[in-house]
Amino acid sequence: MKEKSQIEDIDRSVYDIRDEEHDAYRMESGLTPEIIDKLSKEKNDPVWMQQFRLQSLQIYNEMKVPDWGPSLDGLDIDNIATYVRPNTKMQNNWKNVPKDIKDTFERLGIPKAERKSLAGVGAQYDSELVYHNVKDEVAAQGVVYSDMESAMNGEYADMVKKYFMKLVTPRDHKFAALHGAVWSGGSFVYVPKGVQVSIPLQSYFRLNAKGAGQFEHTLIIVDEGASLHFIEGCSAPKYNVANLHAGCVELYVKKNAKLRYSTIENWSKNMYNLNTKRALVEEGGVIEWVSGSFGSHVGCLYPMSILKGDNSRMEFTGVTFAGKGQNLDTGAKVVHVGKNTSSYMNTRSISKGGGISTFRSSVVVEKSAKGTKSSVSCQSLMLDSQSRSDTIPAMDIRTKDAAVGHEAKIGSISNEAVFYLMSRGMSEEDARALIVSGFADNVSKELPVEYAVEMNNLIRLEMKGSID
Amino acid sequence: MTLINRLPTRTWNRLGVNETALSWDENGTTEIPPLTVDVTEREKVVRVEVNGENEFSRKKVTVNAQSESSVTVIEVLSAENNLAVETELNVKENALVRLIQVQRSGEKSLVYNKVTSSCDKNGRVELLQVFPGKGDIYSDSLIELTGDKSSFKSDIGYLGQREQTVDINLVVNHYGKSTESEINASGALKDSSSKIFRGTIDFKTGSSDSVGNEKETVLMLGDGVVNKTVPLILCAEENVVGNHGATIGELDDETLFYFESRGIGKAEAENILARAAIERLARETGDEETEKLIIKILDEDL
Repeated sequence: MKEKSQIEDIDRSVYDIRDEEHDAYRMESGLTPEIIDKLSKEKNDPVWMQQFRLQSLQIYNEMKVPDWGPSLDGLDIDNIATYVRPNTKMQNNWKNVPKDIKDTFERLGIPKAERKSLAGVGAQYDSELVYHNVKDEVAAQGVVYSDMESAMNGEYADMVKKYFMKLVTPRDHKFAALHGAVWSGGSFVYVPKGVQVSIPLQSYFRLNAKGAGQFEHTLIIVDEGASLHFIEGCSAPKYNVANLHAGCVELYVKKNAKLRYSTIENWSKNMYNLNTKRALVEEGGVIEWVSGSFGSHVGCLYPMSILKGDNSRMEFTGVTFAGKGQNLDTGAKVVHVGKNTSSYMNTRSISKGGGISTFRSSVVVEKSAKGTKSSVSCQSLMLDSQSRSDTIPAMDIRTKDAAVGHEAKIGSISNEAVFYLMSRGMSEEDARALIVSGFADNVSKELPVEYAVEMNNLIRLEMKGSID
Repeated sequence: MTLINRLPTRTWNRLGVNETALSWDENGTTEIPPLTVDVTEREKVVRVEVNGENEFSRKKVTVNAQSESSVTVIEVLSAENNLAVETELNVKENALVRLIQVQRSGEKSLVYNKVTSSCDKNGRVELLQVFPGKGDIYSDSLIELTGDKSSFKSDIGYLGQREQTVDINLVVNHYGKSTESEINASGALKDSSSKIFRGTIDFKTGSSDSVGNEKETVLMLGDGVVNKTVPLILCAEENVVGNHGATIGELDDETLFYFESRGIGKAEAENILARAAIERLARETGDEETEKLIIKILDEDL
């Protein structure tokens, strides 16, 4: 009897290794003004930040959970510890990082990647950074890459205050308000005018603590004519209780600047990933998002680009792989405000083993955005009938002087394509694996080669089967 | 307020596309006697004139197409005030129902047009809707392809003018195996008109080997127009193929050059193209009387 070829779930063993929480400081679970106050004191916040946190908490309590998207019923914020501090201060030398934490990052390949191909690395473990370093030659160019807390209390305090949660305000949605109340960790990057950072910076976020939340804040300002590639990675071991990630990324791309923001998201399958990312792009600026979503139990992730300046543009390239027990609701949003702006979204989603994958997008073209060009292309692959794949795009066009196109396809692996490859000597298993790998290559070919390899390892598309 | 034109699955509320709140006076509504059409023969033609003369009027039309029968139902929806028309199509095995709807209403009018249909094995529904640009139109259609090899095709043509609202929701649920759907919507928006087109192809579990295609083309002609397009594909079945595409834009330079090289200016070219989608559907009706009526409605206004 013919057995249907199977595509295996992603091999998570390297990500699932847990460290003991010895000597770590863990804030009690829940959300009260007292807990927020305590967190603020713990982090030595300036006064404006103390007030900001409390205001955000108030907004959080006023706002409702969204009435669209995946169910968040399994998430009880009263059972989430919003702050867990590892038993170390931030280091700039891996030798000084506690062994268990260092070993975790070694297994994830971070120090090795830093040596080989990165201009700087920030490594966050639970709520705080444990390692942060930037290469001397990059620092010599005037590039600032530090943890958020150092930036907020140091030389760049005014800049942080000017930009922090101005693009994603606490009123944006309930989990943005939560982030405003309990944020901790994350990175601050400033690239001065005209500076081209030729090799990427990377932040890696590891959530080890059971039943905890991670709320890092990433603030990047790429000044006029400058360019940067920033890579973000994340993972966590799996627990039998919900974990929460509600980070926030704010990107400011100034006149004629360029920023590529790449993410390989691989949270564990008990994670609620409710992250918010947004870029404001000035005249002639470019934002490029490259996004791979593989982990999480529930994910809601829609990086948004506001093309404020004339001739600014955005590209979004994404792949989402939803396996058993996963409900990944991903996509992108763009708002065209300036004249002659352009946007291009190109996404792939794969559903298998009962996984749910949803592509959700919005393209808004304001009346002022004369000469806009926008194109959206999304493709979905269903690998079995236990899974779901939905496509929910929306376009809101308010000027006649725009050209907007949208195309979507949904389907299964083409038998004709399998037959074609088999007629050239491939086994059915290899043929199916090749087709699925090729389906996801829109993202892997946009990543630096080391990360493309990691991503391909992540999607270990092993086939098994027998043919009568 | 009555909530109509609901998207089968919700998205961001700020986009204003999840549903439409319609102001309708239930207590003040005049019920026009309902009409039931039972069809047993082939190639039957039924003409239905619905006139909403009171401030709020409503009529129900039911079409029961028995096995092996075929019928063309031509509905002309005339209103000066507020008119609601609900058309229910019950399509039995191997039956074919063509429903042609023409909106012929006054400038200040509102038409709420609801179509529901079930479709048994090998049954087919063809829906041709012409909304030529006077009065607000709210159209809500739900097609259930329950039988294996049942199929649905729709052609929708609209013209938005002045402050007019064109608000369309079309949902096709594929339940049976080897079912097919095709949605084509095409129109032009002038002045400060606004339009929402929600088109959903939903492949339910069990609808294997089904195909759904959806396409919308919007020509933007006015400085104050608002166009919202929401094409959904929902899928719970592996062996299906779903496609949708949308093209939204103004009269492009190449087309304009073509017209100008033949002595036709921009304004006239826009007028020709604004009429084009509807004139095409007028010919598609295959009914001379209806074709003339649609052209007459267009001539009154353009």
